Amino acid sequence: MTVQTVDDKSINENWEPKIIAFLCNWCSYAGADLAGVSRIQYPPNIRIVRVPCSGRINPNFIIKSLTDGWDGVLVSGCHPGDCHYISGNLVARRRFAILNELLEFFGIEPGRVNFMWASAAEGERFANLIKKVTKIIKELGPNTKFKKKWC
Amino acid sequence: MVLKMGVEAENQNIEKSMIETANNLLKNKEVDVIIGYSKGTVPLSSAPIIIRREEDTDKLIWNNLCYVNLAKYLVPLMPQLCDSEGNSLKIGVVSKGCVGRALIHLAVEKQIKLDDIKIIGIPCNGNINRKRIEKEIGESEILELSIVDNNINVKGKDFEQSFPFDEYLNELCKVCKVKSPPNNESLAEVCVGECLEITSVEDDFSDLDEYESKSTEEKWDYIIDTLRTCTRCYACREACPMCYCHLCFVDQNKPIWFGKTTEISEIITFHLTRAMHLAGRCVACGACSSVCPMGIDLNLITRKLEKIVKGRFNFTSGIDIETLAPMTTFKMDDSEEFMLEED
Amino acid sequence: MEQKILQKDQVGKLYSELSKVYTFYAPIKEKGNIVFKKIENPKDIVLDYLNSKIPPKSVLFPETEVLFEYKLDGKDVEIIDRQDLDDKILIFGIRPCDAYSLELMANFFSFHGNLKDELYLKKKENTTIIGMGCNNPRTTCFCTSVDGNPFKKEDSDIFLTDLGEKYLVEGISDKGKDLIQKLSWLAEAKNADIKKANELAKQAEESITTKMDVKEVTKILESSFQHPVWDEISESCIGCGTCAYLCPTCTCFDVIDETDDYNNKGRRIRIWDTCQSCLYTLEASGHNPRDTKIQRCRNRIMHKFSYYPKNYDLLGCVGCGRCIHLCPVNNDLRVILDKILKVEKKEDEKAIA
Repeated sequence: MTVQTVDDKSINENWEPKIIAFLCNWCSYAGADLAGVSRIQYPPNIRIVRVPCSGRINPNFIIKSLTDGWDGVLVSGCHPGDCHYISGNLVARRRFAILNELLEFFGIEPGRVNFMWASAAEGERFANLIKKVTKIIKELGPNTKFKKKWC
Repeated sequence: MVLKMGVEAENQNIEKSMIETANNLLKNKEVDVIIGYSKGTVPLSSAPIIIRREEDTDKLIWNNLCYVNLAKYLVPLMPQLCDSEGNSLKIGVVSKGCVGRALIHLAVEKQIKLDDIKIIGIPCNGNINRKRIEKEIGESEILELSIVDNNINVKGKDFEQSFPFDEYLNELCKVCKVKSPPNNESLAEVCVGECLEITSVEDDFSDLDEYESKSTEEKWDYIIDTLRTCTRCYACREACPMCYCHLCFVDQNKPIWFGKTTEISEIITFHLTRAMHLAGRCVACGACSSVCPMGIDLNLITRKLEKIVKGRFNFTSGIDIETLAPMTTFKMDDSEEFMLEED
Repeated sequence: MEQKILQKDQVGKLYSELSKVYTFYAPIKEKGNIVFKKIENPKDIVLDYLNSKIPPKSVLFPETEVLFEYKLDGKDVEIIDRQDLDDKILIFGIRPCDAYSLELMANFFSFHGNLKDELYLKKKENTTIIGMGCNNPRTTCFCTSVDGNPFKKEDSDIFLTDLGEKYLVEGISDKGKDLIQKLSWLAEAKNADIKKANELAKQAEESITTKMDVKEVTKILESSFQHPVWDEISESCIGCGTCAYLCPTCTCFDVIDETDDYNNKGRRIRIWDTCQSCLYTLEASGHNPRDTKIQRCRNRIMHKFSYYPKNYDLLGCVGCGRCIHLCPVNNDLRVILDKILKVEKKEDEKAIA
């Protein structure tokens, strides 16, 4: 799947980033749900993909999202110790740590890919972090350099 | 005080004692075959060789062009060395530091059993950066390479050029801290020849400072400039002792994960993901860069991987057989400074 | 035969004249590797090179090539064919072995006229080849053993010989002769120049010392498909694709469909593939008829030296030596062929005994 991104010419103040969010089923997805039923407002820029656990998130999901042209990626799981599968998020944390450093090393802007924890009871925190992520990625501008070019 | 020998004499000494060890191992039936290096048919090369008979051991050589990581020949992907009845053989592997590390790490990952293996340790004195020399010579054929007085002398039809040995080593060899295969109590049975008692490796990674001080844009430009000539032949992957997957992620086609074209984002995706997969596993042998037909230098990425793993998990791959690989385990208190927090 | 002289400093002039009509490809140095690229600035052209790292097949058969694109509009599909196939291409400064390889590939891509690969053949038809003699063949070159020659002219339209400070220009085909006529500013060649060119050709041919009886190899291969020599040959191979990717006669490709759902478009592309990859023969059922290293290694040799002669009466190797000096583990083709040649001798001995 590829997403439409605004090309350089049409970047203007109205440009809104498209952010893909991988949320774990047990905490973050429920947190998003809570934010919704509690009517907490947060920016509509994220598109949620529900995954069983943050440990399910293959780094390839993240890299693929960037080459497909998403402007930002967000990954969210249960707080350490709260994983439904005991340790999925702890294994994932090591993976994300390395991916994060490698992306930076390869010259991908820090902030293009974000990681966070949000529990099922943290609707407010979820909304706040989405606001923050959207702001970060809005400042970075569209993801043009890593997007696959149809030469 | 030990007087530093010339590289040439060092090579001869290493070669001599290696052949002797190999000979003894075969004679005493401690191993059935020996994997080592033999003289290459073109300058700037060496050819891996599998030796089965005692009288063939004099084909073994050691010089500063033995860049292939021989541990590759033992990974499950490769056809296993068997006798005519299909029984697995005992194998001796001529091991410089990084080959030994690769074997140990493969054992940590339960890919090989060290019981059937003898690590014939040699004190490696570094590999020559053949791609750099080839590039600097340019469009003249190199016919002969010799090392005299710590200089690499390269001869061609109508030229002769000399390179200082220390400077023209592989970047990874320059900063190598494990020149001989690591040895400790649990490995005593496995190691023969010259091995190194080592339990941890100290490294300051100062060679990365220059690159890391670059801005994001500069880094991106550097990566694009380095990788853009990649033809996707996967020589780097095939030469890597740690790339033993039966189906590499780029080869997965049900469905296709990543494109296999030479479009720059797909090239970067391959190298980025491969680096990701090698975190905590790469043994810094530099084989990937040495075999690249296009002369792409991947050493910087290798060093970065080492640095991340050392810094975060205080782990160096292939040193100890007991410690779990960092990506297969976790700690409750792993640092998570990169996690987003509310303002 | 038209014989003219091109001064080395006139290459820029030649470029500016020809690039008006042709898409001009020539060797340039890119990150230390010689590759054939479309020339933007004639100063980039490098002509005193051994041979290119990536063979010039990449001009007519690039690593990634779009076959066609499509657009979706509701239920309508609009196919957009390649528009650039009629462009005139000129490949400048190509070595005789590589020029011959383009001819070999044309053979493959037309398969005796039965199955035509229009893409390649059309481009090949529109291509003018300006070949250049190989004054200093590498020690790994063995073109003289495979029906070639460092100064083989037949496969070029125009042939250049490097005489030091100038080039001798010879029109070979009608296409080439016509082109030379148009370049009226070229000076006439003197007899001394022609003589020198012949001498250089002789010298170059003599400098190729690797001689192999390839016909014999072909014969032996026919009966040695299951010979244990293949174990030995493939022993040190690590299974990368360097030899095939950088081989000027390797034609295998993989077809991939790419879709861009959001923009309702897509395309079909082809990329280089190699018989050394384990995926190469993998069938949809999951069965892989060539799933071991030995089989894959054997296939490359068999294809070049046995199947190709059988199908086209031609050898599938042009003797450029790229696979020899670029093999990561130094699995030298010369040594491989030597081992194969020894196969029969052993068998003869057995027969006598």
